[in-house]
Amino acid sequence: MSARGRFSNLFYRPGARFALLALPGVLFVVLFLLIPIIAILIFSFWRTESYELHADWNVNNYAEVLGDGSYMVFLLRSFLTALIVSVVCLVYSWPVAYFIAKLGGRYRLLLILALAAPFFTGIILRLAALQAIMGPLGIVNMFMMDLGMEPIKFIMYTKVATGIGLFYLYAPFMVVALYLSLLNFNFRLLDVAKVNGAKPWRGFLEITWPLNWAGTAIGFILVFIPCLASSVTPHFLGGANGALYGLVLGEQFAETGTWAKGSAMGVILFIASFIVILIMWRTVNLRRSGFTGAGM
Amino acid sequence: MAGMQLDKRLSWSGMVLLLLVLYLFLYSPIAYIIYLSFASNTMWPFPWKPTIEAYENLSGNRIYQQALWNSFLLSFGAATLSALFATMGAIALLKYRSRWRGLFGIILISPLFVAELLIGISTLMFNKQVLGLPGNMVSAILANAVHGVAFGFLIMLTQLVRYNWRMDDAAMVFGATPSRVFREITLPIIWPAILGAFLISFLLAFNNLEISFYNLGAIPTLPSVAWGSLRFGVKSELLALTALVNGFVFIVFAILYVFMRTGLVRFGYRGE
Repeated sequence: MSARGRFSNLFYRPGARFALLALPGVLFVVLFLLIPIIAILIFSFWRTESYELHADWNVNNYAEVLGDGSYMVFLLRSFLTALIVSVVCLVYSWPVAYFIAKLGGRYRLLLILALAAPFFTGIILRLAALQAIMGPLGIVNMFMMDLGMEPIKFIMYTKVATGIGLFYLYAPFMVVALYLSLLNFNFRLLDVAKVNGAKPWRGFLEITWPLNWAGTAIGFILVFIPCLASSVTPHFLGGANGALYGLVLGEQFAETGTWAKGSAMGVILFIASFIVILIMWRTVNLRRSGFTGAGM
Repeated sequence: MAGMQLDKRLSWSGMVLLLLVLYLFLYSPIAYIIYLSFASNTMWPFPWKPTIEAYENLSGNRIYQQALWNSFLLSFGAATLSALFATMGAIALLKYRSRWRGLFGIILISPLFVAELLIGISTLMFNKQVLGLPGNMVSAILANAVHGVAFGFLIMLTQLVRYNWRMDDAAMVFGATPSRVFREITLPIIWPAILGAFLISFLLAFNNLEISFYNLGAIPTLPSVAWGSLRFGVKSELLALTALVNGFVFIVFAILYVFMRTGLVRFGYRGE
């Protein structure tokens, strides 16, 4: 058999075609996401001296970050901010997604795309738009001053402003995740519950909520992770006392050039997000969620 | 509707109210900034005296022009890679049975669950220390494409889940080669989904700050120039830029909407 014949023979085998199609993308993600993360794990045990990394192994970076109270305050503050924003997003997005999926009818694709679209204009331009409303020279405070009233202080350079900004940035994520989950939910199950005498809230608690928990958990994670790592939002909205972990982490790579310490902070952030993902994942029972495979 | 119970009607109107408030919250800053971009006095734009000064400032600004070109190059490269890998991955996982499907699916989705900041700093360190590459366009394209693959893959999955692969098998039975099956059967049906994956990754990379910022060094992109400008408040060029990018994103979404509606019809999806 010629080489060409052997090659095309190989190509006809489903297993080989699966590998040929899937592997390039998989290897790409492994090479440019997984390996860089392993790289910062290694660098986090090195030492930075005058903007250069030196390979003498030590745990000083971790001792510095975990031992210094201020870093832990930033991490805890980021964690609380992310938790509050995610929970508020979740509570707010549920009725919105439910309404679009149940009663959106032929307009539901339009309704959901209109919610998703602003997300794709990027963080900076959305924060600029938000500043034009909430900032000290924004329309709200200019209006207050025009009426001779005090400007609203709590939306200017505060932690509340950061929270509002993060909700503004990531609420669409939650709605879309819940909407996709509800799209695959069989609403007729609720009719069955009703026929059998269940009150609407009981139908929701015992059928709708548990069957859509996987989608809810994914939405929660998709909001929680960028909020935990947020650096740009507190930079522009948080003010002097509103610094978050991500902001301090970013500074290690930009201003101070302390690569090793920054890597250690990155590893800690990665582990923190990973723990949250694991906790959420353990609460998900795919079979219970009515997951029949989506072809998987 | 008349026969509906009062509490049910109340809860529906509550949901409508929440939906409207969310739309208002999402869109009023955007609407206001578009209004502001045409106003001659941006501090207190009432009454409205329309002018296109902000747009003239923007188009005359050399830094923004260069940043626009860099952003375009970056997002075109990232979107091409993303759409390619996402399409291949989605076809492989939906069409073939393999015990690797679960793991490969998780790997392709995983960038969604890693913060952009972490993608940015880890690729920066990897490129700098291991590959010896300083910040450049190629590493920024690759890092953005990692992010885009996950989004593109999700889009391809949701769009192709209803594709009937037996059409491909039928063609194979009649002797078509795999590449001919792809060109003449699969591609003509799935190209709107591929374009959707391309456009979404394009927008993500075009407007991305954190991944590009750490990978590009001193090379300006629109978000990084906007970031520099926002530190000094919302200036007129930034207003015009925000308005234009929002317009661009909404045109893309209008295209996506049309494709998704017609695409769904073609996959035999009847909207239920």
